[in-house]
Amino acid sequence: MSSSVLKVAKFEIVRQLKKPSFWAATLLIPLLIGVIYLISFISAESVETEPTFDENTKIAITDEAGVLSGAVPYVVDVDKEEGVQMVKDGEVDLYYYIPADFAESKKAEFYHISEGLEIFNNDGQILKMILLSDASSRVDELDALVLTGGYEIVDNKLARDGEDANALGKAIVPCFIGIVFFMFVALCGNRFLLTVVEEKENRISEMILTSISSRHLIVGKIIALLVLGLVQILVLVVPVLILVFCNRDNAMLAPILGMIEVEPLSICLSLVLFVASAVFYAGVCVFVGSLVSTARDASSFIGPAIIAMVFPLYFMQMFMATEPNLIVQFLTYFPMSAPIGLMLRNAFGTISVPEFLAGIMIVVVCAVIAIRLAVRAFQKNAINFNIATPKFARRKKT
Amino acid sequence: MVEVNNFRMAFDGKVVVRDLSFEVRKGEIFGLLGANGSGKTTTVRALLGLYQASGGELLVDGQKYNPESGKVTVGYLPEERGLYRKESVIDTMVYFGELKGVKDPLKWSQKYLKRVGLEDKAKEKVEKLSGGQQQKIQLGITIMNGPKLLILDEPTKGFDPMNRKLLMEIIEELHAKGTSIIMITHYMDEVERLCDRALLLKDGVARAYGTIDEIRREFGGKSLDEIFVEVYGEDYEQ
Repeated sequence: MSSSVLKVAKFEIVRQLKKPSFWAATLLIPLLIGVIYLISFISAESVETEPTFDENTKIAITDEAGVLSGAVPYVVDVDKEEGVQMVKDGEVDLYYYIPADFAESKKAEFYHISEGLEIFNNDGQILKMILLSDASSRVDELDALVLTGGYEIVDNKLARDGEDANALGKAIVPCFIGIVFFMFVALCGNRFLLTVVEEKENRISEMILTSISSRHLIVGKIIALLVLGLVQILVLVVPVLILVFCNRDNAMLAPILGMIEVEPLSICLSLVLFVASAVFYAGVCVFVGSLVSTARDASSFIGPAIIAMVFPLYFMQMFMATEPNLIVQFLTYFPMSAPIGLMLRNAFGTISVPEFLAGIMIVVVCAVIAIRLAVRAFQKNAINFNIATPKFARRKKT
Repeated sequence: MVEVNNFRMAFDGKVVVRDLSFEVRKGEIFGLLGANGSGKTTTVRALLGLYQASGGELLVDGQKYNPESGKVTVGYLPEERGLYRKESVIDTMVYFGELKGVKDPLKWSQKYLKRVGLEDKAKEKVEKLSGGQQQKIQLGITIMNGPKLLILDEPTKGFDPMNRKLLMEIIEELHAKGTSIIMITHYMDEVERLCDRALLLKDGVARAYGTIDEIRREFGGKSLDEIFVEVYGEDYEQ
């Protein structure tokens, strides 16, 4: 690789990494994720999902239905009014009333002193725990297990040919790569578009292009953009992976993590596609950036560019079908939608390896074409300082 | 040093330079003259490969100019000039120095900044500098690779008297070292004082070409200012 390409790449990387705005944009999302995680963690701590009570909690139950056995210590021989009065007088903290028609009405009542603005008081569940515990103590162990539902049903899917059919498990890693690419597209598009606009806006193009060829300048800039994009993605993804690892025993995460099945070929192909797609996307953005002369003009292109790339997501259901229809086929091989289209089909296992390789080739070829167009467009428009609209084929005269 | 043969340039079918031929010899200061729109900047841009010529050939040291060939070093101060506004002065100079293949760009930049009284501004962002200070930086970037060919497009445009004096000193220094210099300017007094030879363009066609004395003789001993007015006539007023 030419040394001038590396000089451009180094300059662009260092100057971006020194900018507070780069780090603000990079750290904003992880910080938001962290804050949301922290809030949910604190909320989980403060909101008791399982009702608890200790020996200091004074409980009284009026059991007019006779549903509880004599072994339950909280049953009192008072009527409802007296029980409510006990709460008001502070004799008990929680009072439960089980009416005589409990079997028909399926309703019990719960009285306690309000603590002000209570949203998540679930002390009413204590009565359910007491009832369940009492009922379980009166039946044998097996019936108790059935009654309490304290057992697990293990899901074992079988494909028709008798092999494991863990399609979801196999899709997790390729889907994750697809999500990372989506973030890459959304995060980096604006910088990609603006990268060559600066030279034009600041009228540096002529000084630059008499020191270095436009090809080396553009390639150097694209390398820098990819490295910076990688930095942003790592800053975003690594904390998430650490969080997942730290919570790997979490009741919701553990089954998903346990399901993950790594298919090396599929993952390798996904990564190759990721790199090719990133280069292609960068090339397209730089090409568009080369056609316009101001940041304002460039920014109006970022929305359509992102929409074109993520278009297959609107047809997610179709991509999940085993037999791809015409729309899916089109989106799989149309250059702008191919990256995410291919990633989706690879994740859902609805594309063969030769088809996938053909898709990657299309993206690679388009990436090369996009870069060549970007170089040409920059060379031709670099010294159109006063134009407000793309002027690919025209040149300014003195 | 520079050979332009039958150079022709058209934009969207409109010819702006036609069959232009001239040469710039090694070590001379060459004036490229003409009113706005006469084709001076277009010729220089085509010479440096910024524009693709519609016809003819433009050679620097016997070949088409390629900034990375390393065969001939060129310094170009364009009419439209700027810098990376958000970068520090020293980072900007070092970057251009690296691109131009300067051996120790940091050392060269520090020495130059000291010479032009900007050593305390090295770490400042370019946008914090005054217009005159930025001009000094642009000039430094233009000459930092010790160019064999220096092209200055309206170099004194917008320069304050101090920077103009600095520029003249630098031109003289480089000229003394054998650098060939092409100067695009509207100031005829500068041309008469500095240039060995000149080319006067009107509507992309050469109207006068040769040494300053030859041109003056051709127009009956008139000054360059008078020659300019004669060639452009009423157009010049417009």
